[in-house]
Amino acid sequence: MEIDKEKCVGCGNCHAVCTMGTISLDEDGKSIVNQDQCVECSVCYRFLKDERYWPWMVRAIRRLLSVFRLGYLADVDVCPTGALTPPVLEWPRSLRAMFSDPTTIHPGTGLYGRGTEEIKSNDVTGRLRKGEAGLVVEMGRPGIGAFLWDIEKVAMALARLNADFETKNPVTQLMTDTGTGKIKDEVLKEKVLSAIIEIKVKLERIPEFLQALAKVQNEVDTVISVGVASRCLPDGSIPHEEWVRKAGYTLSLNGKTNLGLGRPLFKETEA
Amino acid sequence: MTNTLHRQGKAENLKNDYVVFMTTAAGINREGSAPEIQEFMRICHKYHPINMGNVKLGNIYKDGVDVQEFIANLGEGAGSMAVFTDLDTVQKVVEELIQADLGISINISGLLDEVRECCRKAGITRHSAEHSLGFWGARERLPERETLEINTLCGHGMISFNLIRKMVEYVKLRRLTPKKAARILAKCCECGVFNPERAEKLLEKIKKGEVTPSGKSVEA
Repeated sequence: MEIDKEKCVGCGNCHAVCTMGTISLDEDGKSIVNQDQCVECSVCYRFLKDERYWPWMVRAIRRLLSVFRLGYLADVDVCPTGALTPPVLEWPRSLRAMFSDPTTIHPGTGLYGRGTEEIKSNDVTGRLRKGEAGLVVEMGRPGIGAFLWDIEKVAMALARLNADFETKNPVTQLMTDTGTGKIKDEVLKEKVLSAIIEIKVKLERIPEFLQALAKVQNEVDTVISVGVASRCLPDGSIPHEEWVRKAGYTLSLNGKTNLGLGRPLFKETEA
Repeated sequence: MTNTLHRQGKAENLKNDYVVFMTTAAGINREGSAPEIQEFMRICHKYHPINMGNVKLGNIYKDGVDVQEFIANLGEGAGSMAVFTDLDTVQKVVEELIQADLGISINISGLLDEVRECCRKAGITRHSAEHSLGFWGARERLPERETLEINTLCGHGMISFNLIRKMVEYVKLRRLTPKKAARILAKCCECGVFNPERAEKLLEKIKKGEVTPSGKSVEA
């Protein structure tokens, strides 16, 4: 994101809205974006309504108010002068928006945002089948963001166990070699709000992969949201529960359930 | 996308937080799915969700949104969501969705045991399920509990920690009511999975001093 200094009146509303906290007040009293840390999510641009006031008028009012020791307090969800300006992004910086802005269709998946369908359409795709589990490793979430160099560290640690990376996943598509988990050098310095490493494992290998993840988590300077999924058994029970508990981890009370109402229903015997 | 998987909170908060959403799959049932998506949202809307949205069109808390027009404009592809605050209503929604037989994948995020029971009562067996294993890595960078609880109500991470803290401060200073502050936060969440009622209740507790600045409940 960029801020038009001709328009900015330094109200500071965009500072709090910024998901990465990268906007601050510059020496000249106008807001500035730390471009290294900005993930191009565009929340500031979408959320702050442009009030279309003339910058000179807002500045004059502020100066006048300051004479009487009064402050100018804009509503929290406005940019009084429309100073926020989304730039035209070129590769590899454009990758930031692909992963961070959910209103952007990711070219690799055809879906909005950073994610994939994972179990949400498992009833029709058969992505996860009997005896399999999906491990979903979301780097940078919640609210911290992640550089691709950190994402690569985790991907490489999982690849050492011969991870089966989901081919339709946007992180997999950035890899030069899914056998090693190596990510293209040209994107390693890019930062995203979050990115999901998605792999498929045999149920009995869940402990092994969680152990690898537990080890590599100490090597990254970001947070990781971890999820595990599987196809339910005919009685509705969840097969991965047993293996996660064996590995010594606690399962959340809440989670995601695919009701199985999609059609045509995927039948494993047809595969 | 794992956007509703990691919602934080205790069981008593999570009991008032269910996200019903649909997904289509390219090459299987996405093409020409707009009428089914619109019908899905009509059914959800009939049961008065606390929030609704679609990544492409935004959520119903955005300025000037007419819900009927919003539903009519839903096209194929992008997932659509509705948030409910009680399981009885979710039960009715699920039963009507089964009757409608839309052929698109329907998912629910919420307490897994409760959703399983909901499926049983509706005469279906859940197909697949996903758990969160929590937050790993540099957890020392995470904020206080109440900020995290509100932040994770938007799975795409569109609500910054700093905006939540600002809303907390405004509520404490009575510049905003908890309801108004929760609705402002809801506007950030593009796809509409944010539960403004949960956020409002939490902000109300903070206003009354029932949650201390350290982020720990007085009762705990």
